Parts: sequence; C-alpha cells; structure tokens
Amino acid sequence: MRSFRNRTVQKPIRGTRTSPHTAQVITSSGNPSLDTILGGGLPIGSIFLCEEDRFVTHAKVLAKYFLAEGVLSKQKIFLGSLDDLPAEMLRRLPRPLTDVEVEVEQREEQEAQSEPLDKNGLRIAWRYNDLPLVNSEQAPTKIGHHFNLMEHMDPKKLYYANTTVWDGYKTIGVQEDISSSSTSVNEAPKEMQEIWDGFIQSVEALADGENNNEQSEGTASNTNTTNTTTTTTTTDTQSSSVIDPNMFHNSRYGRLLQDIQQLLRDKSFNPGAKKNLCRVCLTSLGSPLWYDEHFGEDLLKFLTILMASVRSCNSVCFITMPMHLIAKYDTTLVPKIRQLVDYAVELESFAGSDRETHPAFKEYSGLLHLHKMTALNTLAVHMPETTDLAFKLRRKKFVIEKLHLPPELQESSSSTASNDIMGPAKCGGNVLPINSNQASASLDF
Amino acid sequence: MAASVLLACGLNEQKLPGFVHISEESNVDGSFLISCILGQRLRISNAGTLLVCLQHHYQHYFNAGMRLGYNCNIFLGKTLNVIDVLSDMANEGFDSKWLKTADGLTLTEQLIEDIRAQLASNYSNRNSYTILIDNLSILFNLGASKVQVQQFCQSLAALAKEYENLTVITKLSNSDIHQLTDNNVAKLGNVRIQVLRLKSGVFREVDGKLLIERVLDEGSYACEETRKEVLYKVNDRNVKIFNPGEVGVKV
Repeated sequence: MRSFRNRTVQKPIRGTRTSPHTAQVITSSGNPSLDTILGGGLPIGSIFLCEEDRFVTHAKVLAKYFLAEGVLSKQKIFLGSLDDLPAEMLRRLPRPLTDVEVEVEQREEQEAQSEPLDKNGLRIAWRYNDLPLVNSEQAPTKIGHHFNLMEHMDPKKLYYANTTVWDGYKTIGVQEDISSSSTSVNEAPKEMQEIWDGFIQSVEALADGENNNEQSEGTASNTNTTNTTTTTTTTDTQSSSVIDPNMFHNSRYGRLLQDIQQLLRDKSFNPGAKKNLCRVCLTSLGSPLWYDEHFGEDLLKFLTILMASVRSCNSVCFITMPMHLIAKYDTTLVPKIRQLVDYAVELESFAGSDRETHPAFKEYSGLLHLHKMTALNTLAVHMPETTDLAFKLRRKKFVIEKLHLPPELQESSSSTASNDIMGPAKCGGNVLPINSNQASASLDF
Repeated sequence: MAASVLLACGLNEQKLPGFVHISEESNVDGSFLISCILGQRLRISNAGTLLVCLQHHYQHYFNAGMRLGYNCNIFLGKTLNVIDVLSDMANEGFDSKWLKTADGLTLTEQLIEDIRAQLASNYSNRNSYTILIDNLSILFNLGASKVQVQQFCQSLAALAKEYENLTVITKLSNSDIHQLTDNNVAKLGNVRIQVLRLKSGVFREVDGKLLIERVLDEGSYACEETRKEVLYKVNDRNVKIFNPGEVGVKV
C-alpha cells in the first residue's frame, strides 16, 4: 500500500478566502474599509449588526454594499425588510467598478493628495517631503469588489442573481443559476425576460399595495396579524413545518424566520459541502413597524434562533437596527441584542447635530463606534489598529477612516471647543459605553 | 496555555468545588473561560465532561480548543458529551424540542431532564464529572422566566450535592442586567468568578478584569471569604494574567 496520497485541495466558496490571522473562512462585507476593520471580512456564520444613524442614510449604504457584493460573488441573497421595499432596494444596488476604474480612481486620489504639498513645498521641515503620505483610510485587502454609489448596478446582473426578498407580506424569489446557464448575459432568453418583467411588476404591485395599506391603516396599530399570508412566487419557499402560535406573539417574526431557515437548510449551504454562501440581510429590524406589547421578548427570541441558524451553515447575516429607538423602548434591550450578534457597529451621523458644522469634523459625515467584536470559532478577536473611527460618504463611495482632528482649530479657544465636542478624553472611548459615574474613575492598571 | 488563568481562578485542581458560577458583564466576552476549563477537564484521565452549548456551537469550542492545544473531537463520545441546543434548533427548526413545550415540560425542565439522562449513562464510569453550561441568559431569550432559571440552577446544585465528585459550572452574561438571578445563582456555590470590563475604557494589552470570590467557611454568624482581582488578556493561543499594577502604559 502506498503511503503517498494525492493532495486534494477543496475549492473555496465563491467570494470567500481563509484569513491568515484566524484561519477562518471570511467573506467581504462589500466595503473594503469595513473589511479591514473586521480583520479582512466577515467570518462565515457571523452576524453583523449595524446600528442605524438617525436618518438611516448611511446604514442603508452599507447594506447595499453587502448585497452588491453577494450579487457579484454569485452568492444566494435573502433580503427582508418591513420599512423598505426590498426589491426596490435591490434595484438600487451600486455599480461595481472594473479593475481599470479602481486603478484610475486610486491614482487620482494619490495625485489629489500630493498636489498641495508640491505646490507649497516644505521650507523648514523639508525632510518630511521625502516621507510617504499618511493615508488614514483603512487600507483595503484583496477581497471583495469596489463599487460606485453614483450609478446603479446593471439590471441584467440582478436578473441572474440568486435572490429572495421578504417584505412582511410576500416572499418573492428570482432564482437562476448563472453557472448552469449556457446563454450569455446579453442574450437572455425571452422566457427569463418575462419572469423578470413579472418580478418587476409584482414589486410595483407590492409598492402600491403597501401604500394602500398604509393609507387604510392610518393611525391604527402596526401589529397586523390577520391580513398577512406568506405567498410563494417562483420560489421553493413552501411551508414545511407549522409555526407554533405560542412561539412568537407577532407572527411576522415566525414567518420571516421560517423563510430564512428553509433557505439555509439547502444542501448547498451545508458546512461540509462548501458549495455556496448565503447572505441574509435584514434592514430596519426592530423598527416601530415591528412593535407590539411583547416586542422585546419576540425580538430576542428571533435573534437567538437566527443566530443558531446562521452559525450552522455557510451563511453570513447583516442586520440594521434603529438602536436609538429600541433604547427608548427599553434600555436593557440594547446590551441583550448586542450579546446575540458577533459584530456591533454604531453609525453616529453628524447630520442635524452641532458637529455637522464644527471645523473639527468638517471632513467627516459621522463617527463609527465599534461596540462589539466576538471571537467566533477562535480564541482571540481581531482588534483594529485604532477604535477611533469616522466615516465619510463621498460621491462615489463610503469610506471609514481613522479619526484625525486638524492640527490646530482656527478658533483661539480651540482646546475648549474640541473638548466640548469630543467630551472628556478616555482610552478607546468608541468601543465601550462608559457610565458617567465611572468615567472619572482611576485607571484599572 | 491556560494554566495561569485557571490557577488564578483556583480551577486547576483535579477536584473542583461543587458549584462554580461565572458572571459576565455586558460588553465583555468570558467564553474563553469555558474553553480553558474544558481543556483542563479533558486532560484529566477518566474525568467525564458534559458541555451544554447555549451560546456557541460545539464547533466553536473545538476550534478554540485547538488554539489552546487540545482536540475535543478525540474525547467526543468518550469522556466528553455535548448537548448542543443551538445546533438542534438550527436543524429541527420550529419542531425542535427546545422551542416546543412538548410533554408539558418547560425549556429548563427539558434541559435538566437531558442532563440527568447524560449523568445516568456516563457518571458511573468516571472518576469525576463536570457539567459546563455556557450561557444561562440564552434561556431567558428562549422564553424561560427568572423563576424557571432559578429552579434550573437549584436542580443543578442539588445534583452536585447528590453525586460525589460532580461539579457544575454555569455562566451568565449580561449579569449587570440580570443582577437578581446572577446573585441568587452565585449563592448556590462557593466560587464566583466575575468577568468585568475595564472601567477606564479599552487598553490594548489588557482585555478585562477577573474578580474571583471564594467562600472559605460559611459559619453561623460570619462568612469567611477571599477576593482576588486579576487582569487578563486573551491572545491568539493563550490567556495571560496580570496583577493590578503590573501592566503600565508604555510611552
């Protein structure tokens, strides 16, 4: 018997790679700078919670990045939302950049940064001229794609995407495996075009229906349990197990969970199979549309079962939640929710606040608070270089950078002004909320 | 790899106290303690261990164990048994016994029944036995009331008294929110380990603080107990312990 064995290397799942730091399989969140903060990307089986900014502008952008990355990597996508029209959101995904465009963009940025230096020239500290420019943007690693937020993704790409959407009323899926299709993207058969047209029409019908519902409901309670029936359209989302009516007080949680579980039970997402990855995206979960008397209980139970499902297969989950509203409903829910997710990031937008016009923050759109990072399937968690992070929503892209205050603020009382805005200095104040009574406590070490 | 943290907690001996409770504050991850204790118990020959996975899957503990230098899979089915509630819920969906109150049993009653069944089949062959429950707060999320969780822990403490050389180790996260339950459960045993965050913020070289409280002698009028405070840092392949004052800010 030969001792030699042929080496069989298992093909990685599309759009994933093994992290050299943790040896975990990771996938891109869609945004290169967010990936860098997370240590390369989201580990498979993890749940990422994005705590929404007050106007839900920036959290949606991150959700779109997450979805767009899934479309490009030909992964299965599940998008659920009560507040947005999921199909409409899918149609507004950003356009991916080609490699050439990415190179051109990076070159332009470098040139734009170097221009003012060349013009002025350093006369006193001239030796600093030779040093490379400090790029505070979180450096992207080679995973995932780059996107242009100004333009929408080609509908043909979406047409071939393996997508299921849930809006609280219906579950609609458009499933076509591009790998099994011999026709090119430009030559989509007429039958498929008809399916796509039907899909678009159903989206529009849903939009009309939702508007009508909103008008008819008026100020009535949002906990609608009678007029919601799960309808299956062109998908395999047929109910297999009956939901125990006592399980959730709000039946929407049960239906959403059932659809997700049914999707994740597919053999292609089996951890051993390593064939495909499922991206589950839930936007504005826990918004007032989900409220009822037992909101907290239902939400925690839902997240616990979701956590169990996502960790058991090849999937990643991206959730956006209006945590500032949930905190007003019940303060204790916030740490309980954060405990059930693997990554919790809060986007604090400057829009509508004093900081919007403050010179210290003129470069940024808001602050990014890193509340939780879990060591999933490993012992130690990756910690980014710094936890003082800010984000910018540029014309074409969403960038997360290290927070830099300008060298000197123009006001004479700059130190007091910056203190007013920043609050008292503390170590990594972005990571953990510190109680006001503990803030003045002495250092622990 | 994890000897120092176990030594600090007094859990490095072959014979452990009957009931040990780990309280985990919000925004702190103390699951490394479960991995450390699990590794220590598996290394003792003929010592049985039952792992009840409520927060993490078994796979997580396997991977974390590999980082700490032990392989759970070698012991699985022999000295290590697992009740993986999360996997069961994922596989069975809404038909899972943890989500349905079948046979009139509540979630905690169902769990204690399963633990008893495991104990009945495995305890007699082992010199000692350890039950590790990784997060009691998940029981709250799945619908258990405070009273039910309290009764569940009392049943576990009763088991520890009933069986010789049986140790029950429980962990409760968000202990600052579930303060009442946390204190009541901690009172069932003699050792309590609190995993606390640093009050002053975040430090790259220290992750948090362990406060170890051990009751030495519970007399009629006075209770003699020791309190020990250490700082910890979880690294990729080990856990380091520092005494307060040992680590300073390097300029």
